[in-house]
Amino acid sequence: MNVEIFVTDKAGLQKFYEAIIAKNETYAPVEKFGKFDFKHVSSLSECDPDSPIEKTMSAKPLFFPRSAKILKYTADSSGTTVKETDEDPLAGKRVILGMKHCDARGLQVLDKVYNWDYIDSDYQKRRQNTVVISTRCDKAGTHCFCTSLDYDVQNLDAMDVLIVKGQDGKIFIKARTEKGEDFLKSNPIDSANSKQHPASEEEMKKQYDAFAASFRLKMNYKEINENLSKIFDTPEFENVSSNCIGCNTCAFICPTCHCFKISDEKIKDSGVRYKCYDSCNNGYFTLMAGGHNPRPAKYRRWRQRAMHKFVYYKERFGENLCVGCGRCTISCPVNISIFEVVNQVAKSEK
Amino acid sequence: MDYTKQIQEIVAKLFAEDKIDVFAGYRMTGFDENQVPVLIQSSGEVSRLVFNDKSVFNLCNYLKYDHTRNKRVGLVVKGCDSRSLNLLLTEGQVKRERLYIVGIACDGVVDEQGNKMQNCEECMFPDALVYDELLGTQHPEGKYKVNSDIKELASKGLVERRAYFEEIFESCIRCNACRHSCPLCYCTKCCIDQETSKLYNGANNTSSAFHALMTWSLHLAGRCVDCRNCEKACPSHLPLHLLHKWNERVIYENFQEHLSGVKEGDRGAFYKYSLQDPDDFIM
Repeated sequence: MNVEIFVTDKAGLQKFYEAIIAKNETYAPVEKFGKFDFKHVSSLSECDPDSPIEKTMSAKPLFFPRSAKILKYTADSSGTTVKETDEDPLAGKRVILGMKHCDARGLQVLDKVYNWDYIDSDYQKRRQNTVVISTRCDKAGTHCFCTSLDYDVQNLDAMDVLIVKGQDGKIFIKARTEKGEDFLKSNPIDSANSKQHPASEEEMKKQYDAFAASFRLKMNYKEINENLSKIFDTPEFENVSSNCIGCNTCAFICPTCHCFKISDEKIKDSGVRYKCYDSCNNGYFTLMAGGHNPRPAKYRRWRQRAMHKFVYYKERFGENLCVGCGRCTISCPVNISIFEVVNQVAKSEK
Repeated sequence: MDYTKQIQEIVAKLFAEDKIDVFAGYRMTGFDENQVPVLIQSSGEVSRLVFNDKSVFNLCNYLKYDHTRNKRVGLVVKGCDSRSLNLLLTEGQVKRERLYIVGIACDGVVDEQGNKMQNCEECMFPDALVYDELLGTQHPEGKYKVNSDIKELASKGLVERRAYFEEIFESCIRCNACRHSCPLCYCTKCCIDQETSKLYNGANNTSSAFHALMTWSLHLAGRCVDCRNCEKACPSHLPLHLLHKWNERVIYENFQEHLSGVKEGDRGAFYKYSLQDPDDFIM
């Protein structure tokens, strides 16, 4: 796809954002208690589309909510009736500003699992109705390693519009999908400020190179995929997980974790059934109705998490379930780094 | 405050004399100034241990996991940690004879930005209250003060205060990291887990967060030692200390100036009955 790249400056980008927010239902990172979460915004002053990666929650809840109603029911002595919820998961179109590239990659990974044996129609609807505007980071965060995983950070299909901040205050805006092209047509960039630039692609590449050079962590994911698949029984998992407190935070804030549980809220004879986040680090996760729990020990649950990220998902869908955003490490109460852990385990001998 | 060398020496000696099976301490992350709790099982790993003003996490939390259960455990405790350890001892969760406690006379720890933590600024008991060995010079005991956050909260009316907390709980994602990181939350089945309780749950929304966190804080009322493990664990950075400090103030004022975990054998305010307890009081 040969699309034009718009060049603008900071003021032009501000105007572009303001116009989007005025015209569309927009979600963007909003700061609260020093942490940015994607929320509905009605003016640019409320949000910061350039929020730092280390302080920004992933945009996953906009597609896979922390809890979603699936059905309503009434159950009494006369029998049980089930109704669809009257809540449409997402009827209107919406725009997300300031999504990180790693979150966009997270969506691509989630697409695969939600399009697999069961098509999750709510998720699909949310995906189709959303225009993703993604801004490339200037600098890698302390725990980031997205550039050394199995995807090209510059070319992600989940980004409809890509924004790159080049040198000398130049800002490049590029539609990456048809949805993005249509969006830019209906939300044009201020023409007084934007102009075509012949060497835009090169300048964007230059920005990427500078960004890629700022990474502290480099992962050899091929080696990790290969080694981890061979060492299921290594005692090293017990060592690396010994200081984990089993709190679930890593899974709840991960852009790709997609496990959920079903829970009911019942008052008298009627109730609502919800789909809520769950985590494989939770001791109840594999508890069966008969009382048997195949993963009773913490290290087994930790192994499942690491193996799902780097082995099982890869075997089934050909991709790693980790996008290298480092959010789990940042949020971990005891600073456990998944990068460090998988590297340490992959190096261990069986 | 840097006791790295002393702690390494003590732990090496403990392993040499076969006094402990596992030691809970801190190690560096390896790439920045922050630290990771570490459970050391042999004398060969002793050189990894560090202790300085970045050693924040309350290690008593590890006393409830398989790695330490029924083992002889050594651990480092600061003043606040030792109060939670006192409560764990009183509530029968650990046996004193299988612990070797390295107490610290703590000068206060700092957060990730390097600022002294708020709870250290107003700490009443900086020195470990229960220990086998104490490092550092002892501090005089502080006086009870109601901090400015709580004063501000108290100036609000009931409706206003509820709205304030609802706004805080709106950002809760119900990961229960606060509960997991609390050294005093050792129940194997918890009433705020969606799996075991149908009381408040269903959705992960503000109302369920409100009920779950309020219930959780009431279970810690008169027990919380203000170590702030929960607040540091919260991925949404919620100011959870407000709940606990509020309860602490109410209990201090109404229950004969009760402060939790200060003496070994002293039970939580709600666990003991006294004729002086108020009965006209609603939380």
